[in-house]
Amino acid sequence: MINVTNVSKKFESESVLNNISLHVNRGSIYGLLGSNGAGKTTLLKMIAGIFKQDQGSVLVNEAIVFENPSIKEGIIFIPDVLYFFSQYTVKQMASYYKDFYPNWNQDRFDKMQLILNLDINKKIQRFSKGMQRQVAFWLALCAMPQLLILDEPFDGLDPVIRQKIKNLIIQDVAEREMTVIISSHNLREVEDICDYVGILHQGTFILEKDLDDLKSDIHKVQLAFKGEMPAVLLTEVELLYQEKRGSVILFIVRGQEHEIDRIITKYKPVVYDLLPLTLEEIFIYEMGDAGYAIENILV
Amino acid sequence: MGTSQNENGNIYFNCIIYISTADTVARGDGMFDLDLRSRKPIYEQLVDKLKELIINDVLQEDEKLPSVRTLAQQLTINPNTIQKAYRELETQGYIYSIKGKGSFVNKSSKTDNTEELKKMKEELKKLIAEALFIGVSEADLYSLIDEVKVLGGGGYPND
Repeated sequence: MINVTNVSKKFESESVLNNISLHVNRGSIYGLLGSNGAGKTTLLKMIAGIFKQDQGSVLVNEAIVFENPSIKEGIIFIPDVLYFFSQYTVKQMASYYKDFYPNWNQDRFDKMQLILNLDINKKIQRFSKGMQRQVAFWLALCAMPQLLILDEPFDGLDPVIRQKIKNLIIQDVAEREMTVIISSHNLREVEDICDYVGILHQGTFILEKDLDDLKSDIHKVQLAFKGEMPAVLLTEVELLYQEKRGSVILFIVRGQEHEIDRIITKYKPVVYDLLPLTLEEIFIYEMGDAGYAIENILV
Repeated sequence: MGTSQNENGNIYFNCIIYISTADTVARGDGMFDLDLRSRKPIYEQLVDKLKELIINDVLQEDEKLPSVRTLAQQLTINPNTIQKAYRELETQGYIYSIKGKGSFVNKSSKTDNTEELKKMKEELKKLIAEALFIGVSEADLYSLIDEVKVLGGGGYPND
């Protein structure tokens, strides 16, 4: 669905993206993560066909997206800062969208009004921040896009609406294979709905992986032995990190659960816990491994 | 049960009791909940949960599993994750799928609870070790077992 190949982008002399590649399959929900200023928004705007890359190619549905209205008819981009025409009501804004998006679904628009319970004759700018965001999603989902690009989408939404919106997105992914890219610096926010994540840092990808693989490939182990820890243990597992807290030893180990389990139980520890890592922890250790300090990654 | 350490460098044990809020399994429509905040990958949770339902006969032989679409919507999780879990269950022989019709519970699939047994034994071992440490006697443990049996646990008929 999306093919970004060797793309670089500079704003004046400042290099924002360095030779990055990204591939997103149809029907996938891709989580784009990274610190502020990592280049997330720039990348999203290029995929939406708003910015032009300096080098490389950006293809959506195997066509160049920049200045290509027929491709853009199937793309909706919700930016982090929303924009609506001043004085426009929801109804007027909807008819404006209808002119641009040929797949506009009026039936769905009417149905969603019942769910969101917002007055379509009220000026959008008189709505609260969260309500404006709901309007943005409302319009976006009624345009029936093939590709939905969301930049920090859940800011300012209350938990109930957040869940409703996620649910609506998932419906579209399940029913008509809509593709979604979500950028966020809040790892918890994307952990439940993404199937693939990429972490962008200072204009390059540090990591790109299937989220479940990522989680099942790295584990936290807490151990304590009656006497000294057998030193050979260290050579048998792929260690990312170790720490000693009193007599309890903490390991971060890469590998499959049963394999680690097999090795460690051999040495008969008196205390033994094996836990998968949270997405947050994975970032911390994977980054540490790549030589990045955590302060730069997590906000 | 895990171990942690406080500021003074003393190790203390904390036994975490997982109270499942997901025990409300409504028979037939396949409704259950997952812990989205858990460390465990969602697809693994899904595989385990469905296995449990199949092993305990909540989902019976040849019963149709909820479609990927329905489940995705009910649980608000990614359809690809559910697809993956179904594929995994199929490889493990718990379910079979018919093209265009969906996934169904396989026949002889309710034998394998060795993993469960192993886990349970490990948990018990830890608890017993702890109990012995704080001064519970062996005889106490035996009488506890008898007590539990009387209450009708463990499937021992008491007549």
